[in-house]
Amino acid sequence: MPALREVAFSRAKDATAEVFVPSSLDNEQEELAPLRIAAPEMADEDYYSLQSILADNHKLTCSFTLAVEGLGYLEGGTDADLQENAKVELPFWLAQTLSINEFTTFPLPQPYSPRVRAALNASAPSVKLSNQVGSNGWWYRWGSKIADVLDDRPQADLLKIMFRAFVARLPPLQDLSAHHASSDHSVPESGAGTGENFREGMEGDERELFRIGQDSGQMIKAWYDSTWGQRAFARR
Amino acid sequence: MALPKHLQHGLTPDELTFLAEEEVISIVPSFSMTKIRVLSGVYGPFVPPSSTSVPLWMALSLKRKRKCRIVAPEWLQVERLQALLKEEKENQDGFNKLPRRFIETGKVLLDVAPDDLHLPAQLRSLLKDLREVRQAKIRLGLQSEGVMQGSYLQMNGLTPLELMELKPFLVKAMGVLQTLEPRKEERDGYGASQT
Repeated sequence: MPALREVAFSRAKDATAEVFVPSSLDNEQEELAPLRIAAPEMADEDYYSLQSILADNHKLTCSFTLAVEGLGYLEGGTDADLQENAKVELPFWLAQTLSINEFTTFPLPQPYSPRVRAALNASAPSVKLSNQVGSNGWWYRWGSKIADVLDDRPQADLLKIMFRAFVARLPPLQDLSAHHASSDHSVPESGAGTGENFREGMEGDERELFRIGQDSGQMIKAWYDSTWGQRAFARR
Repeated sequence: MALPKHLQHGLTPDELTFLAEEEVISIVPSFSMTKIRVLSGVYGPFVPPSSTSVPLWMALSLKRKRKCRIVAPEWLQVERLQALLKEEKENQDGFNKLPRRFIETGKVLLDVAPDDLHLPAQLRSLLKDLREVRQAKIRLGLQSEGVMQGSYLQMNGLTPLELMELKPFLVKAMGVLQTLEPRKEERDGYGASQT
């Protein structure tokens, strides 16, 4: 185990070193290269985002590629040591580091499995993404984090699937966010990928988008309904 | 980060209205006064039957005190708006260019000075029609194939108010799309920095 910890720490140290490079201008030629890599890396992690931290917490089933002393409790058994090939559910933030360093491997998790892909290909708006990654999880966020760990080919595949799904789901999402408040809920819903059915199937980021769209719609509506000189400032 | 959520994305409609109030408009005063100096410039003199130009906020304030009659801008007339609406409907590929503060100015004038406008009820419904035609165009445009897949989106001819309604949603949607784009060369560098 100490070995693992050291790896994690030294990686962290490397990262900070790279970020602080710009202040020291010596060795410009050599030092600039890693900087360009580090900067987008930091931006992608959206450091201050709580959603990102929560998405990091979702469990991923990994199998260890080596035996680890003293970690048997992770498996829930009575063994003191973790055997090679043992399958353990690890939170993603841990699985990520372990997998990058090839201490663990994992099959592509169920939310991104061929079954879900086929459903997305058939009709993206009617797939319920809300319960794929935990309940009300972040399907896109978690997926793109997993993609970061994958090799080139599966990574490109996974990103393409998610990209297509998002683009296909955007129109119904936009319609819904623009018209949800004014639509008539007593009328039974028609299609599987529209209206209430779609709303129930939205994952974390889609729900936020929905809320953003609704909020700006409401703001405009309040403005149209107000009269100049007697504006309603209490909005929410 | 400290701003409330609904203020983070840019200006609110109220703030845009405030900006629109700086635009100059013609009034016919019903009182006499010499020139006055305010921060934005010198206005007046106010001599009754002749018209003079003042900022919109001053016109509205005077109007509410019944001290002037506002002269409607040339675009705020039924025939002009009907023509605009027709053009807007015929032009399927883009948005007609409107005066920058078109929506805001039209709305506050209808709010405060409907009696100075010709056929205010018709004007109101024409403005509403115009808005709806443009909204429908925005919706169609956003949902057409491939629009959301570029790294930027160009929309000419939208007024700031319409843009404001749209922007928060678009920015977030494009942010999500950005995280789903194919990863670039950075992978190689990342691997190299480990060794």
